[in-house]
Amino acid sequence: MAIRKQIYTWEINGDNTSGRLADSPYGTHYPPPGIEHSILYGAYGNVQDGRQTGLVKEDDFIVIESVSCTPGISPYGFRVDSANNLIKWTPNIFVNIIIDTTNYYQDPQNVWSSGVSGFASPYPRQTRDEPYYELWPPIYVLPDQTIDIRYTLFNDLQLSAESGEWENIPDSTMLAAVYVEYTHYDGTDAMMARKLMNLGIPVTVGTVENYRRLLLKSKGLETETFDFYLEAMRSERERRKRERKNQGVATQQDYDGDL
Amino acid sequence: MSIRRQCYEWRNVGESNHFTITPPAVAVNDCDDVVLNRYPISAVSYKLGLSSEKIFWKIVPIAPNQVVDIFNGGIGNNLDIPGQLKAYQFIVLDGIAVYPETFNAQVIVNTTRYFQDPDGVPSRLGGVSGRVVPYPIGALSSYPPNPNRAVQLQNSIKDGLQPPIIIKPGDRWSVEVKNNSSSSFPYGTEIQIKRGTDRKVARCYIKYLLIDGADCIVAQRLIDAGWPLTVENLWRYKQDLIKSHLYASMAELPEAIKNARRKV
Repeated sequence: MAIRKQIYTWEINGDNTSGRLADSPYGTHYPPPGIEHSILYGAYGNVQDGRQTGLVKEDDFIVIESVSCTPGISPYGFRVDSANNLIKWTPNIFVNIIIDTTNYYQDPQNVWSSGVSGFASPYPRQTRDEPYYELWPPIYVLPDQTIDIRYTLFNDLQLSAESGEWENIPDSTMLAAVYVEYTHYDGTDAMMARKLMNLGIPVTVGTVENYRRLLLKSKGLETETFDFYLEAMRSERERRKRERKNQGVATQQDYDGDL
Repeated sequence: MSIRRQCYEWRNVGESNHFTITPPAVAVNDCDDVVLNRYPISAVSYKLGLSSEKIFWKIVPIAPNQVVDIFNGGIGNNLDIPGQLKAYQFIVLDGIAVYPETFNAQVIVNTTRYFQDPDGVPSRLGGVSGRVVPYPIGALSSYPPNPNRAVQLQNSIKDGLQPPIIIKPGDRWSVEVKNNSSSSFPYGTEIQIKRGTDRKVARCYIKYLLIDGADCIVAQRLIDAGWPLTVENLWRYKQDLIKSHLYASMAELPEAIKNARRKV
């Protein structure tokens, strides 16, 4: 039982070659451009060791709160050092969220889009960066659903390497990155999160903890628990009725017993 | 049924028709100005300035006073069809940004242009400028050409478009950008443009809330009641809906029903 704020980052670095096709065969280390790749189980970068898919277990509940990626558009944003090592690269990356088979981002013609760019939601963030994009409302991923975060690169690093602008891409150079922030509700907290969602209440750390407090408060009532909730609901109904009368927005139904 | 935070980004970037380094040689201008339903793939060009030059990075110039529709304008990443909402969709457009600072962006819903001049005529400059809403925040200005003398642009509308633009089911909508500079964008010599960095890429960004399915009905109810269409209000309405159903199930039944003979 826990509520944990989780951070997951995906990064890809150089492979200590020039990146040309002769030195680094196509598709072995660098992701081909224009194609979606998973940050969880994809074939490139620092994905999880076991390359598991993001299946949410039956006693889990996930709330995704933020996604970001490397900013920039032009392939000419690269920089090399005095030894002709590539030390900065602009991947022109977009990141997308997929729940089961549903794509979160769609374009104005209602079809699958590449997602959010690094300009809209940058990572790593510099002092001058202020993201335009905020994932609000957050995304709920329910038990037994599968989540995937996929990136697409639109600048071709290997084709660029053929231009001979650099001689080496050291493994210290981060070429692209994706950042995901989410809250993980586990065990009974996941059940409470599910309950809150069914009641139409936003699932936040605050609302789940509040729900837990309410449950603990009612602990020990045993057979009287039902009566306790019933009475609580009735008193709330009466309070709302009084409130409506005071506000002058009461309907005939509110005055039914009085008239 | 969902409420989703969406964004769309346009850039004036084309794509090479021959995306390979091997022969046949690629003609210098053998690029498409428009790419449909995705972003163009680019790379550092090959042997730039030499006879064996191959272009893999193409910034499409935008002439002075030229207006470009970011959905179907024929420049950069475009869509197949114009933006139109389905019968069960609402859009709450609350963010717009544009670059460079000499460009303006205008939102059009059906036949109405959102930004207008004080005399009531649609904005002659073509909407809100990149000086007011730069994209991204903190971007270096495109002018002067020397990046060391450029300034960082900051957003003047911190809260975005408030109140937001509500686009209703069935409405057509689009966003146009206009180059208000006296010269074509990007500025610079041919080789500077061919090696153009992000400062030479025009772009426009919109951010909106897409409400569809059953949430669309809730949105319509909120509008009918005069409530602002926000995530919080949509949640609140649904909470009240659930709450009232709970109360209804606990309410005392009328005598006639309570005493009625039960049927199996």
